[in-house]
Amino acid sequence: MDGADHHAPAIAARDDVEIRLGAEAVHLPVVRAVAVTIAMRADLDLDAISDLELAVDEACSSLIVLARPDSLLICRFTVRDEEIVFRASVASDREPPSTQTFGWRVLTTLTDRARGWARAGQVHIELAKAKPVSAPEGRAEEIH
Amino acid sequence: MNSTTTAPPRVRARHPGRREGEYDRFDPLFERLTTLAAGSAEHTRLRERLIAEHLPVARHIARRFSGRGEPESDLVQVATIGLINAVDRYDPHYGRGFLPFAVPTIKGEVQRHFRDATWAMRVPRRMKELHLQLVRASGDLADRLGRSPRPSELAEHLGISRDEVLDGLAAAAAYRPASLDRPLRKDDDTSDGYGEQLGETDDALDIVDDAEYLRPALRKLPERERRIIALRFFRHMTQSQIARAVGISQMHVSRLLARSLAALRHELGGRPGG
Repeated sequence: MDGADHHAPAIAARDDVEIRLGAEAVHLPVVRAVAVTIAMRADLDLDAISDLELAVDEACSSLIVLARPDSLLICRFTVRDEEIVFRASVASDREPPSTQTFGWRVLTTLTDRARGWARAGQVHIELAKAKPVSAPEGRAEEIH
Repeated sequence: MNSTTTAPPRVRARHPGRREGEYDRFDPLFERLTTLAAGSAEHTRLRERLIAEHLPVARHIARRFSGRGEPESDLVQVATIGLINAVDRYDPHYGRGFLPFAVPTIKGEVQRHFRDATWAMRVPRRMKELHLQLVRASGDLADRLGRSPRPSELAEHLGISRDEVLDGLAAAAAYRPASLDRPLRKDDDTSDGYGEQLGETDDALDIVDDAEYLRPALRKLPERERRIIALRFFRHMTQSQIARAVGISQMHVSRLLARSLAALRHELGGRPGG
């Protein structure tokens, strides 16, 4: 079970965070808390912080349903200059979630990019949330 | 359910502007209500009238609980639910009239809301105040910026460090809205204008393949939550825009979305953890 991680690149020393947990809903608050902390530290706005948290919750929930019993949920957050990328996977022989469902609509509404795929006994979901473009100095005052 | 007939009689005197006994004139109507078949047009009409006539009582009780961190509009809504329960459960053949029955029922509903909807754990007073400050500041900034603020903007606005903002936002996680277990109510009883777009949303649901399962699941949500789901996922409004449209804070929208999505997951898939 372990070692079945197909995340391509090795974890980047500086900006990646990876957590592995039992694929059980009871652990979801941990993943949500990490998502919120990372989004806040990346200085996303409050809407985007909450959206990312909700999307991570939705993605993990749908993966947990597909997971083989007693398998791991592997989550990785990558903070890039322009976006936060979240990837999660579980060991499963099933298909990734259908993109025609309400659940998938939730993911695509809350993030800027969502895709799911199955490969080598793992189902993956990847989400990306854009970081806000830094507002030019004084913009807030201008608007006011 | 609540016991009730033992409420102190002085409650009547607590409605300033309403003379004691003013509500007694409805006693015959309650008598009449018990004689009508539930669901008949006349029963419905009379029930609605009795609810409407007693709304000032619900509002009055809601006001007494205001200033404790819950929006007054929420409290009025909760008190109204209590009133509706009281009208439905009141038996004029027992007790000393409707008000001594209704007041504790309504108060109980509001108190339950506070028990369910406030801090889930002991949070230091300083953190509660910081949380309130953040809620207010994010509303102000959202108005000014046309989008929700970032932590750095909140820090600057409030003159505090970013770490403090992060602490305060994290504390918000310990603050939870009322539980989903509240009994479902009839939409028209508590409607405050949220209903008007639901027909349109219903058509929008056809976009997804599982619409046929989604519809009944959505119907189980309280009306406001259903509306928030529709606005976010079928009308693509941001949380801040929804907050403004519904009259609650963005953080509250966020909590309601989290709760509703969990409920929908549970309904749609029987997924664990829903």
